[in-house]
Amino acid sequence: MSEKKQTKPASKEAPLYGLLAEYEKPKQLLAAAKKVRDAGFEQWDTYTPFPVHGIDPAMGIKPTILPWLVLGAGLTGATTALVLQWWTNAHDYAWIVSGKPFWSLPANIPVTFELTVLFSAITTLVGMLMLNKLPHPSSPLDFSERFARVTDDRFFVVIEARDPKFDEGDTKALLESTGAVAVEAVPEDTKTEGRMPSVLVYAIVILTCAAIVPFALSAYAREAKNRSPRIHIVPDMDNQQKFKSQRENDFFADNRAMREPVAGTVARGLLRTDEHLYEGKAGGTWARTFPPAIKADAATMQRGRTAFGINCVPCHGPTGQGNGLVNKRATELAEGTWVPPTNVTQPHLAKQPVGQLYGSIKNGIRNMPGYGHQMSSEDIWATVMYLRALQRGQNATLEDVPAAQRAGMK
Amino acid sequence: MATKKSKKSDDAPDSERPVKKSSDKKKTSDSKKSTGDKPTKAAGGGGKSGQPKTPIVDDGPEEELRLGPLGNKVMTIAGGIGVVGTGAAVGLGAMEGQWAHFFHSYLVAFFWVLTIGLGALWFVTLQHLTRSEWSPVVRRIAEVLGANIPLLAVMALVVVGPLLMGNHDLYKWADPAEVKHSLLLQKKSPYLNTTFFAARFVFYFGVWFIFSRLFLKRSVEQDSTGKPELTNNLWAVSAPGMILFALTVTFCSIDFVMSLAPEWFSTMFGVYVFAGCVVSFYSTMGLIVLWLQKNGRLSKSITVHHRHDIGKMMFAFVVFWAYIAFSQFMLIWYADIPEETVWFKPRLGEWLPVSAALLFLHFVVPFLGLLSKHVKRHRFGLGFWAVWLLVIHYVDLYWLIMPNFSPGKVPFSLMDICAWVGLAGLFLASSARTAMNLNLRPTRDPRLDKSLAFENI
Repeated sequence: MSEKKQTKPASKEAPLYGLLAEYEKPKQLLAAAKKVRDAGFEQWDTYTPFPVHGIDPAMGIKPTILPWLVLGAGLTGATTALVLQWWTNAHDYAWIVSGKPFWSLPANIPVTFELTVLFSAITTLVGMLMLNKLPHPSSPLDFSERFARVTDDRFFVVIEARDPKFDEGDTKALLESTGAVAVEAVPEDTKTEGRMPSVLVYAIVILTCAAIVPFALSAYAREAKNRSPRIHIVPDMDNQQKFKSQRENDFFADNRAMREPVAGTVARGLLRTDEHLYEGKAGGTWARTFPPAIKADAATMQRGRTAFGINCVPCHGPTGQGNGLVNKRATELAEGTWVPPTNVTQPHLAKQPVGQLYGSIKNGIRNMPGYGHQMSSEDIWATVMYLRALQRGQNATLEDVPAAQRAGMK
Repeated sequence: MATKKSKKSDDAPDSERPVKKSSDKKKTSDSKKSTGDKPTKAAGGGGKSGQPKTPIVDDGPEEELRLGPLGNKVMTIAGGIGVVGTGAAVGLGAMEGQWAHFFHSYLVAFFWVLTIGLGALWFVTLQHLTRSEWSPVVRRIAEVLGANIPLLAVMALVVVGPLLMGNHDLYKWADPAEVKHSLLLQKKSPYLNTTFFAARFVFYFGVWFIFSRLFLKRSVEQDSTGKPELTNNLWAVSAPGMILFALTVTFCSIDFVMSLAPEWFSTMFGVYVFAGCVVSFYSTMGLIVLWLQKNGRLSKSITVHHRHDIGKMMFAFVVFWAYIAFSQFMLIWYADIPEETVWFKPRLGEWLPVSAALLFLHFVVPFLGLLSKHVKRHRFGLGFWAVWLLVIHYVDLYWLIMPNFSPGKVPFSLMDICAWVGLAGLFLASSARTAMNLNLRPTRDPRLDKSLAFENI
């Protein structure tokens, strides 16, 4: 169907399209197809009212490559989904979702599965149509009255004239020898216009233009500025019937949406009745001992050192003498309001009860803010223990050094 | 139609079907002429009562339709293995003195045969429900496998009997001491108690027995009378049957397996067990078809096209199993709620190698292996994957049941194998006994013609 004539009145001189052979039974068609196949024709086909088993080998049709296309598409879909999810969530914009790892394979499986199926399904449909050269809107055979019965109860073989082995006489003889009920010469289609109907052309152009509109609007919206409120496409999703935290609510007497816990409620882990451990006091005065829950061992000391490094060193400095980086910087900038941090190793602080040191860290003192909201009681006590060690170290005398090492100190 | 042709291609696919050669075909058309084309119509529009009553003559290919002496042989060997295996398992359990281990091993083996039987029952119900045309030639095999329900009920008594006598080695909800300490178990006790458990057991097996018996009996009756109404009758029965089947399988798996961890729950559990039923059943049917054909039974009426379909269903339900298994896992993994994750804790702890093996050997490897149509159409290929899937289905059930008994280590032992081989042997012997006096396929089913002439490609 490479070249078709433009509209012309039908004439008997229309060139030959091919030869049409009609059969009554599928079995006859199969036998005929084998003969035509063995004769070495390339441009021919069979037409049946229903799928005839065995027609593919009878016609010598190779197995389709469609499964391989679908396999490739499925693997492409799986890879695309995995790379997309890795790139967006773990690489380009790492974001913790539900406390899972950035690249969390189980969470990625549903999308991977869907894309695999989607790519495979689309490839199956489109590939099937393309390999079959469909859609195929018009054929010269449509004008043969005999051929109309192909949708009912007759079977046909058509050998096209463009086949290199085609010879009107010989091919006709071949088809007749296959037991055809009738053999008919089919002329080329001279009635149908060789171009697409204008209705279809317009429809395609209009649909294409319409399809661009959403993208154009999106592109415009990215650049344009507008003072009017945003458009709510799904209003009940944007404005939900619920009260958010810290908002007003007329329903309750106190007009607050958030409710107070029931009187006497204690959240899990917040029942702090141990005054010594949580307040640093014993019988209303600062405790002079560490609470029993805090063990005086290397582990607590290490924990105190870590907590001291995180919370205290920036201002008080690594040895607690008040020369931390924040202080150095503030002094350098000559900030007028800057109060230098205390040297926490001063002798009078070394004599303070541990409970008072605990209280100072927890609640803050003078310019120093309290750390109780960000350090656990255990961490504060460990810090106090480490602080005691610093104080001892800074106020040490020669007698504190083990006798064996004193010689080297002088 | 596609247009690529090659001169090289030959008629190989034709020669795969010795059945449909011209002489047979001529016979078919002759007989049709004599009865005025009625058989085809009766097969096509089976639903109406005004259809012609002409008996459909089985003009299928000549072949051995009966097991004959082979049935006795299978019964002796499989029955022997069954008795010895089951006895050995009981003996090992007694020697070890660890009845809890024995009961769990036994439950795994029992569920392995039960799932095959239930898969068969489901298959028969589905074929009637959809008025399937491809399957009549293989349907009798499933009918016979499904008819093992009485044997399976007797096997279940080993689980239900001790429970009624106060043993709680399997189910801790039956232990009053445990229930006393667990508010959840107290709340669940209206459902999880021994009396109601036993009543449900009777109901499940009663329903299955009635349906499996009905399907086999009517089908065999049709072999002698040829009445197409029997097929229509079973079609009507299959719809409520399918609903009852779905409910009974779901609740049976909840009762027998899920309640091993009575504080845990998953709404997907029933479907998970059902997926296993179908995978193991199709594998079993594939193996039986291959074995029958090797012994010259049904060698002509079941063709490569039917085997291809069995392979396709194996492949499909391998994927279905993975879909369900992963869905169950992912929801629990994502929500991360302790009362749900507790079930996966041992399975992702000491049992992690088994879980990983299931992922790869129950899904990835058989998925790739069964993907090609050439594998499914190849006798060895189909048989290989059928055996593979039956073995991995055992591992799947082992993974469902055993961590409840031994969360800390995989307690695989000789007793497990003995129980498995034993119950499988008994199941096979019982199937052979049922099949011995029957045709191995329906001979006068209204859709038999279409099934014999079935082509896949």
